Amino acid sequence: MAKTIIKTVDLRKTYMQGRIPVEALREVNLEVREGEFLSVLGPSGSGKSTLLNLIGALDKPTGGKLFIENIDVSALNDNQLADLRIKIGFVFQFFNLIPRFTARENVELPMSIAGLSKGERRKRAEELLQMVGLASRMNHKPTELSGGEQQRVAIARALANNPRFLLMDEPTGNIDSKNAYEIIRLVKRLNEDKGVTIIMVTHDQQLAAEAKRIVYMLDGMIVRETVS
Amino acid sequence: MRIIDLFSYAFSAIKLRKLRAGLTTLGVVIGIAAIVALLSITQGLQVAISAQLQRGFATDTLIVAAGGGLGGVNEFNLLVKDAQTIKEMDNVTASIAVIQRICYIRMPNGQTRRVTVTGVDFAAYREIYSSAFAAEEGEIPLNPEDNAIVIGKQVSDPWGNGTILCRTGDTLEILWTNTTARPLRNETYVGRVAAVLREIGGFTIGGPSDNRIYIPISKAQSFFGTETCEMIIVKLRNDDRATIDSATKAIREALGGRVSVTSSTAILNIISSVFSTVELFLAGIAAISLLVAGIGIMNIMIVSVMERTREIGILKALGMKNHQVLLIFLCEAAIIGLLGTLIGIGAGWSLAQIVLRIFGSSDRVGIIRQGNRAAVSNGITITPVLTPTVILGALVFGLTVTMVFALYPAWKASKLKPVDALRYE
Ligand SMILES: Nc1ncnc2c1ncn2[C@@H]1O[C@H](COP(=O)(O)OP(=O)(O)OP(=O)(O)O)[C@@H](O)[C@H]1O
Ligand SMILES: [Mg+2]
Repeated sequence: MAKTIIKTVDLRKTYMQGRIPVEALREVNLEVREGEFLSVLGPSGSGKSTLLNLIGALDKPTGGKLFIENIDVSALNDNQLADLRIKIGFVFQFFNLIPRFTARENVELPMSIAGLSKGERRKRAEELLQMVGLASRMNHKPTELSGGEQQRVAIARALANNPRFLLMDEPTGNIDSKNAYEIIRLVKRLNEDKGVTIIMVTHDQQLAAEAKRIVYMLDGMIVRETVS
Repeated sequence: MRIIDLFSYAFSAIKLRKLRAGLTTLGVVIGIAAIVALLSITQGLQVAISAQLQRGFATDTLIVAAGGGLGGVNEFNLLVKDAQTIKEMDNVTASIAVIQRICYIRMPNGQTRRVTVTGVDFAAYREIYSSAFAAEEGEIPLNPEDNAIVIGKQVSDPWGNGTILCRTGDTLEILWTNTTARPLRNETYVGRVAAVLREIGGFTIGGPSDNRIYIPISKAQSFFGTETCEMIIVKLRNDDRATIDSATKAIREALGGRVSVTSSTAILNIISSVFSTVELFLAGIAAISLLVAGIGIMNIMIVSVMERTREIGILKALGMKNHQVLLIFLCEAAIIGLLGTLIGIGAGWSLAQIVLRIFGSSDRVGIIRQGNRAAVSNGITITPVLTPTVILGALVFGLTVTMVFALYPAWKASKLKPVDALRYE
């Protein structure tokens, strides 16, 4: 059996909305193994994004534990969290590309943060853009690309530093269904051909069904799981 | 992340908002330019004036004049022969009496002008002010004939344009009204010009000046019918503080404390300390404008951090550390600060040149001059002075102000939490 790459133990996240505590996550226990393609399905407000942000080290839990490759993430300081994020690929619903940069420069950015040289960055960025099918649009800025193309740039960017796993928060939420299907095909290919571990949040039943394993969330808890 | 990449990232952010960055830079440019211009003008002025002083002033001289003490009516007369008494004191190498009267002179062409006639011992005067009391034309007689006179450059060439009214060998009439005689008596002294001094410049105390006529002291005594003198110039063995102090004390004691003794060095020191104060004051005012620019930078950067909150979130999600975010914003400020300071130094220097060209060329009072010099002010040539210290100081100050004001916004940016920053609309 493949080794465990992500493990949560009674993971909790409580937001304070003024004086009122909002329990976004309550006692979530989840284990993800290397090479898995997992989708998280649930209605709006069920805590899907909160869970993904915690796993992506973008936020800190208020209770419970989170292990990434057996490292207790809740014990890390800001600098160590930043180093961890370099090794996690994050894809957002709103793409979050830097508007003044071209597609290639956007893909180069995480490698620049990781300290790669200009030459290495450029070569790898071109390879990645080619892989997501944007070889001809490398020097376009995000505003000159369609939503589907922008999301493919974002996926290329997320893969830049050979991440341990890819986290996608509604990657097709802003894309029409035809392009959304293209994105899902790309994601599946990454998982099947390259063995990339993927967690994808969605509230689209059909898209979720593309994954082998589906986790259902409701009110900050995992209520059900199916494996096909 | 490599420094060069941090820097080029910062640069790309600046390029995006050219107008804003330009205006922010302009604030720094104005502040630095004001400081540099003021400093190079005042330093230029100081250099010009000290150069003048050095010629009209000998640092090892004392000026003795009647009066002093605590005000009141001055009943003391400084006598020509007091110079002899002083000369015999310790540390004194020369001591000369100076008689001065305002007279009219009649030029060879019949024109008359008002000048100060000064009676001095030519040989001793020349020894004290060797560079200023020097002939351009003719020769200063050390054992003057009865009617020999020495005239300042301006007496010979009043407009400074080569229209010579009198030259060596010419005869001048000095007209003086004896106001102590009743009825008033008009006296005439006929002198022959033995030498024309070379140009000295404007400012002097005791030393030679361009707009005067010099006659031997003995002639002055008999012509003006006086035994008293206006001042005694004393040359000391050296300009050490101790020498100056002990000679000053000895002279005052010998003359019953009824005289004032002023050391040229003391005057120089007072003038230069006044200058430093003025310089500091002006630079302080200019520095305020730089502080205003600093607040502008802070304001712009706070807005910029707000606008770019999402971008900061992206950078952090991609693994950028807090201190790297801080560095990016500081880099942006440093680019603006460095550019603004460099342009400011250049602009300040040019401004100083322009200002001195326009305002520094005021003419000598009552005399039209057509010099082709950088600037002439009351006969003093001023060129702005930009010392390496000022350049370095401006660089350090400009960058420091920029960075200090950028620190808070940059720190705020670095402390943003990635989730919050990413959610920011
Ligand atoms: N920063 C926050 N402050 C306060 N409450 C928050 C914050 N972020 C999320 N929440 C609350 O936590 C709960 C879970 O939010 P989350 O964004 O994880 O839901 P989600 O499943 O991703 O929903 P969606 O499908 O709409 O994206 C919601 O009730 C939300 O209002
Ligand atoms: Mg969500």
